[in-house]
Amino acid sequence: MTDPKAIKNNPFKELGKIPKLKYKDGYSVQSIYIPIRNGLEIAATICLPKSLKSGDKIPTLLTQTRYWRAMELRIPFRWILDETVTDVPNPEIITSRGYAYIKTDVRGTGASYGTRNVPFSDEEIKDGKDIVEWIISQPWSDGNVVSKGISYTGTTAELLSVNNHPAIKAVIPGHGFWDPYTDVAYPGGVYDHAFMQLWSFLGKNLDINNPKVFRQIMPDVWLFVKGVKPVDNDLGLKNLKEVMNLHQSNQYVYEHTIDKDFRDEELPDGVTIADVSVYKRIEQIEMSGVPILAWCSWLDSGYVDAIIHRFLNVKNPMIAILGDWNHGAHLPANQFFPDATKVTPSPRDKINAWMNFFDKCIFGEGIQDKTLYYYTMVEEQWKKTNMWPPEGHNYLRFYLSENHSLSTDMPDKEDSEDEYQINFRATTGRNNRWWALLALPIVYENRAKMDEKLLCYTSKPFKEDTEITGQSIISLYLTSTHEDGAIFVYLEDVDEKGNITYITDGEFRVIHRKISNETPPYKTLLPFHTYKKQDAMPLIPGEIAEIKFSLHATSVLIRKGHKIKIAIAGGDKDTFLTYPKDGRPTIKISRSNKFSSYIDLPIIKRGK
Amino acid sequence: MEEIFPLLKDMLNNSIQIKKDELNLQFSIIIKTEVKGKLAEPEEVLIMLKMFGGLREDIPIEIIINNEMQTIDLKFDNKENFKKVSLMMDKIWDNAVDMLINLTEGNYNVIKDIPNIDD
Repeated sequence: MTDPKAIKNNPFKELGKIPKLKYKDGYSVQSIYIPIRNGLEIAATICLPKSLKSGDKIPTLLTQTRYWRAMELRIPFRWILDETVTDVPNPEIITSRGYAYIKTDVRGTGASYGTRNVPFSDEEIKDGKDIVEWIISQPWSDGNVVSKGISYTGTTAELLSVNNHPAIKAVIPGHGFWDPYTDVAYPGGVYDHAFMQLWSFLGKNLDINNPKVFRQIMPDVWLFVKGVKPVDNDLGLKNLKEVMNLHQSNQYVYEHTIDKDFRDEELPDGVTIADVSVYKRIEQIEMSGVPILAWCSWLDSGYVDAIIHRFLNVKNPMIAILGDWNHGAHLPANQFFPDATKVTPSPRDKINAWMNFFDKCIFGEGIQDKTLYYYTMVEEQWKKTNMWPPEGHNYLRFYLSENHSLSTDMPDKEDSEDEYQINFRATTGRNNRWWALLALPIVYENRAKMDEKLLCYTSKPFKEDTEITGQSIISLYLTSTHEDGAIFVYLEDVDEKGNITYITDGEFRVIHRKISNETPPYKTLLPFHTYKKQDAMPLIPGEIAEIKFSLHATSVLIRKGHKIKIAIAGGDKDTFLTYPKDGRPTIKISRSNKFSSYIDLPIIKRGK
Repeated sequence: MEEIFPLLKDMLNNSIQIKKDELNLQFSIIIKTEVKGKLAEPEEVLIMLKMFGGLREDIPIEIIINNEMQTIDLKFDNKENFKKVSLMMDKIWDNAVDMLINLTEGNYNVIKDIPNIDD
C-alpha cells in the first residue's frame, strides 16, 4: 500500500508538479493506416489537441500495442463515446500537455496488416522506425517522438530505441521484461504454463477479432466492446476482413514452447527466445543514448528482476522505479496491507509524472545519471540509490537446521536431513505474481494452511528491525528419487501472533542446476545457469547435489520480534508445469556440517 | 473509464430519442449526437435488443438504418411484438449501463440469461 505520506525520495514527487496545461478543450480522434516499408499498412489511432492551430508543432507520444489500439464499441455506447474511452490514461491528459498521442496495432494484430510468428521480432521493431518517420513528416510534428507503455507496450516502447532514430527522445517501459526466458516463460527453467497458454489464447482471439471469448474471461469488456476498431474509411470493413484473413496464419508462443525446455531451442524463423529479448539488443539501445524511465513492482512476476538487470546493464541515463503494486499499477499488491483498495500514486498522478519526464527530456535539461527508486514494504518508505545493490548491502546467512528451524549457526552434525515427498497439490492459487501478468490482483492468502503441505523452516524472532532489499540466494544440498523436479521456495514474514505474510519466492528446475563458468549474456549478481540443453544435468537418484538459485528481488522491513520462514515446495499446480512428468519424487534436504543448506538474505545495514 | 459511469445514463437518454408509432407498429431510434462512420448494422440492433433489452426469442423485425439522418426504424408485423419491444425500449439504456456497472463490480449473473451472441 504505497503510503501517500511517503514523500521523501518519492520518485513521483521528484519528477515535479504538473505544469500549466497547453491545450484545454479536448482532442480529436482519427483512425487511419500508416504506410510502412514493403507496402505494409499499420493501423493507427491519432489524438490531437482540438485547439491545435495551423503552424503549431508538437511532440508525439507513441504506443505500439498487440492488444487492439482502439476498440469498436457496441451500440448504443458507440453512439455517444469514441474509441478512446477505454484508454488508460485518457488521451486528454496527454494532449492537454501539448503532445499528439498515437496508438498503433503492431503488425499482424488488431486492424494492422501483416502476420507474426513471434512477438518483438526484428521486423516489428523496424516498423517502429517507419512509424516515427511518418510521424515527423506530419505538419503538426515538431520532430520529437517519445514512447511509453505497460507490459507488451512497455517492451515495444523500450525496443523503439533500438532503431537509434534521432527523433526518439525518451522511452518509458513499464512492467516490461528483460530476459523473457527467466522473467516470464521459464522462471528458473520452470515453464509458466498458465500464463503462456492464456496469453496465447487471448492473443489469438484478439488477432482474429473474436470477442466471444471475452464473455467468460472479461465479461465487462464483452458487454461493451464489439471488436477491434477498423480505420475510419473502412466503412464496408473490406480492410478488416483482409487483415483477419492474414492473421489466421499468425503463430503463438504457447504452441512453440510447450514442448521445449531450454533457452537455446528454436522458435519459428530460426530465432531463439533470446533473440526476442531486450538484453540481446543492449548495444543498439546504448548506441541510441535514449533516456529510459523503467518502472515495475516487487510483486510482479519475474519482471521485478528485469528492472535490476536493466539497471545493472544499460548505460543510458535512467530512472528506475520499484513499487508495491500489481502488474500495471492499477491495484495495490503489498501483502502486508491485504485490505488496501487504492493504489498510490493514482493512475492520473502517474501519467502526469511520466509526462514530466518526457518534458524534461525534450524541452528541459534531460537526465544524466542512473537512479533507482525503491519502496520498502512494512517500513513504507521510498529510498533511492545510484548503485545496485544499494549501499550497506550484505548477506545474512540462515542455515536450515533441526526441528525445522533457521539458524545463523552452521550445523555441526555429520548426518542430518529432512525428508519430504513432493505434494503436487500445492498451489499459490490464481492471484499470484505470475497470473498477475493478466492484470489480476496479487493475493497470497492462507499461507499457514498452504505451508502445512510444504517443508518449512522458521527463524527465531529478529532482535531488531532488519531491512531485506535485493535477491535472496538459496543453496540446497539434496537427494531425490527422480532425475527431474522443481523446487519452489517461499520467503515469509511471521509476526508475534503467528500471522504469515508472503514476501517473495523463487523457483528452479533441478536439471538446470549447473553453475556455469561461461560469461553470462548480461551482468548478473546471481548464480548463473545457462538453461542450455548442453548444460542440462539431471539428478542421479540418491546422489547428493547442490541446487542453488535466487529468489525474486524484494524490499521489506522485518520488524523486531517477527520471524522469517521459508517454505519449500515441489510444484505450484495452478501456474507451472509439473516436473517430473511421471512420478512423485521424495527429496531429502541435507543440513549436515558437510552439506549445509542455507539461504542468504540481502540485508541493508541501517543507520542508527 | 469508471469515471464516466455516473454520466452514462444521462448521456444515452439525452442523445438518443425514441419515437413510437403504435398505429403503424413501428418506432424510430434517433441519434442526436454526430456519429462517426456507420450508425449500425441491422444485426447489431438485434444484438442490442438481446443484450440490453432482454429479447430472448427471434421475432420478425424490419430494421431500416439511415446513416445520413442517423435514424433506425424498427417495424413489426403484429401488435404483440411491437408492444414487447416497445416495453424493452423504455428502459434499455438504463439497463445497458446498469449491466456494465454490475459486471465491472464482479456481478456476472447479470449476463447469464443472454443467449449466444454471434458477432
